[in-house]
Amino acid sequence: MNANPPPRLAMQNIRKAFPGVLALDDVSFDCAAGEVHALCGENGAGKSTLMKILGGVYQPEAGEIRVDGVPIRFHHPLEARRLGISIIHQELSLLPDRTVAENIFLGMEPGRWGVLDRTAMAAGAERRLRRLGAAIAADGLARELSIAEQQIVEIAKALIFNTRILVMDEPTAALDDTETERLFLLVRQLRDDGVAVVFVSHRMPQVFAIADTITVLKDGRHVATRKRDQTSVDEVVRMMVGRELRDYYPVHRIGERAHPILSIRGGGNDIIDGIDLDLHAGEIVGVVGLEGSGKGGLCRAMFGATPFVRGTMTVNGRECRPTSPRQAIQAGIGFVSDDRKAEGLALHQPVIENALLALRGLSRLLAPAGSAAQRGERRMDELLRDVDVRAASYEQQIRLLSGGNQQKTVLARWLALSPPVLICAEPTRGIDVAAKAAIYQLLRRYTDSGKAALVVTSDLPEAIGVADRLVVMHGGRLVGSFPAGASEEDVMAVATGHRRHLHVATFPAGAVST
Amino acid sequence: MTDVAMAAARRRTREPTRVAPLLIVSSLLAYCIAAAATGQAAQISVDGFIGVLQRSVALGIVALGQTMAILVGSIDLSVATLVSVAAVMASWWMQGDPRMMLPASALVLVLATAVGIANGLLVTKLRVNALIATLGMGLILQGILSASFNNFAGSVPVDFQVIAYGTMGKLPFSVLFMFVLTGILWLILSRTRFGAHIYATGGNLDGARLAGIKTERIIVAAHVLSSLGAAITGLYLASRLRSGAPWVGRDGVYDLESIAVVVIGGTVLAGGKGGVWGTIAGVILFGSLDAIFTMIGVDAFLKQVLRGVIVVAAVAAYAFRSKGQVA
Repeated sequence: MNANPPPRLAMQNIRKAFPGVLALDDVSFDCAAGEVHALCGENGAGKSTLMKILGGVYQPEAGEIRVDGVPIRFHHPLEARRLGISIIHQELSLLPDRTVAENIFLGMEPGRWGVLDRTAMAAGAERRLRRLGAAIAADGLARELSIAEQQIVEIAKALIFNTRILVMDEPTAALDDTETERLFLLVRQLRDDGVAVVFVSHRMPQVFAIADTITVLKDGRHVATRKRDQTSVDEVVRMMVGRELRDYYPVHRIGERAHPILSIRGGGNDIIDGIDLDLHAGEIVGVVGLEGSGKGGLCRAMFGATPFVRGTMTVNGRECRPTSPRQAIQAGIGFVSDDRKAEGLALHQPVIENALLALRGLSRLLAPAGSAAQRGERRMDELLRDVDVRAASYEQQIRLLSGGNQQKTVLARWLALSPPVLICAEPTRGIDVAAKAAIYQLLRRYTDSGKAALVVTSDLPEAIGVADRLVVMHGGRLVGSFPAGASEEDVMAVATGHRRHLHVATFPAGAVST
Repeated sequence: MTDVAMAAARRRTREPTRVAPLLIVSSLLAYCIAAAATGQAAQISVDGFIGVLQRSVALGIVALGQTMAILVGSIDLSVATLVSVAAVMASWWMQGDPRMMLPASALVLVLATAVGIANGLLVTKLRVNALIATLGMGLILQGILSASFNNFAGSVPVDFQVIAYGTMGKLPFSVLFMFVLTGILWLILSRTRFGAHIYATGGNLDGARLAGIKTERIIVAAHVLSSLGAAITGLYLASRLRSGAPWVGRDGVYDLESIAVVVIGGTVLAGGKGGVWGTIAGVILFGSLDAIFTMIGVDAFLKQVLRGVIVVAAVAAYAFRSKGQVA
């Protein structure tokens, strides 16, 4: 036994409790040098907590961490970094008003006697970015970068020279396929250099593409550790969820289209142009496109946040071109933002208050008792139970809920208003598999009641799975349309602009057909 | 992506250095116009400008310290009181004795350091909101000071008055000192690791901590610098008034005015963005305004109105600009 060297990283019997939750219960986790070890589990399974303990952000109540056989105990993230433990955290933490180089070297600035060596910083930043194959200017401000570029800078930040253990917490969330592939190339290179890589994700295709070993956590406990070639996606998902996932995506609606609820003709503004789009009753339409394709701009234009300046838009036959979200809501459009924390929730408010936000926003101040708004408030409890928001109480602060329950609350907020058109931007970002399935079913149920949903997502399999019809954006325009069940390759080819879709001519025509 | 990167490189901005010259030039221009219009062309001279600067020194040094507190995402409302404390204690400890000049000044700076550390620890360890922590600290200090002294206390020796009245050619030492201090702080902010960590702490506290920065130390250090700025202003006022009284800080409204000029200078109140040259520009703007109103002979209350308008307009302008950038 002593013949074998100790693993690069050994976390043994880790226990960590937060008020009200036992986040980690006797969890052990090893990662050898030269190994990519995927850590899988639903949100709330304890993956991030375990990695935060490794990074010195949290201190465990019990258990031991050994690096190369040496027991360690961290009190500050700095100590972990000094030992060569680099962590790419899930939340983006760039300083918007500092340069890319300053961000990359944050906390590790080169220099003597506290004086910065800016030349070395610029050169080092360029070198790391080149290694990642990214064309990002090291002297540009971080605020000018797209989300994907920010993610790449986060990765560059983690690549310090003495990296022995690299932890990546959902690093591909914002990356497109090319960028993901480039990242994987680098991960394999680091692995071959003897780095122990921990890859935290619940994206199965990526886990199986990169990992040598897979460990599944559930509810703060270790479920299983398997070699990749001795398990399957199905098995891992089953272990994560604890049950079989049948009917993951809702049934598609096929056949006759009802009348259009929403129509846009020639819509455009600074970001998007020439938008012709119809949403029919009962339909879930998916919008896909790469970063910067304008799919976010389309949502914001329809919702009046960055309004259309050209073209027409009608909702239920009435012309309306909203210039503010309030007008859009009044016209019958709901919007689930892709930035749940910043735009979706009042984090310190109770669940029920968050759910009532839209309803309250439209009711008159001091509405008389028995008014529609107040009846809505009373019905809200019921609605929250109906969409299966799990909380100790609906008076609990919403920040304490899991991402999935938060997102269900946001959906309930709109379902209460029951707008004819519901726009959902990245409705399942950062939430677990079971909650995803629940949200798809909710959207299906909603559209079955004669409403329309527009689902904007960068998760292509999701878009194909959930939508009855897909439209593809590129360069601020709608460039293609696909029926349900299109192949990922075909959609990607159009989304990347390699090919204009064959049916592109029929796209507006298809929209016109009633 | 390449386009974006290039666009990023092209649009690269350095807010403070762009705003500061504009503010300084326009305020001095307004000063000249006002002087010419009121037939006081004699004021448009090196002496006139230096006079404006000299009257800005007290606020300027407090504001430089305040800039550091605000950059780390904190704020310091105890500076006005600390100015009084420093002025009174300096003159009381000196009692006109030249031999006590250095020990008394050193003691004042030590006292200020202690206040800064206390402020910083209240904010970081006890997690008291900075506004409340420093407001409370100010009240405590003012209470002790007012209970112990009710008039000018002691006096400073003639030699000590060199600080306020000494000149190098035409340039007063105090003005020179203010600019040297600005230069030093600018070097610290732009060229040192400490400076980078100040911006990081103010820009994203959790992110900075995760990057291994000891954010608590940075915040405490910024509060110490803020307190030292107030103490130096107190010493300067004792030198200028020849003695210290427990109301000199409060009368100067150094707490609110220092925050105002920092913000006018383009430093974001939430922290993480800005710099000391902007603050100096804001100070010069306020100084010119004072001079202009004195020349025109408008009463002091109207001056307050205009100052208020400028503060609000400046912040609105910055907010509008940064919104324009995003869209």
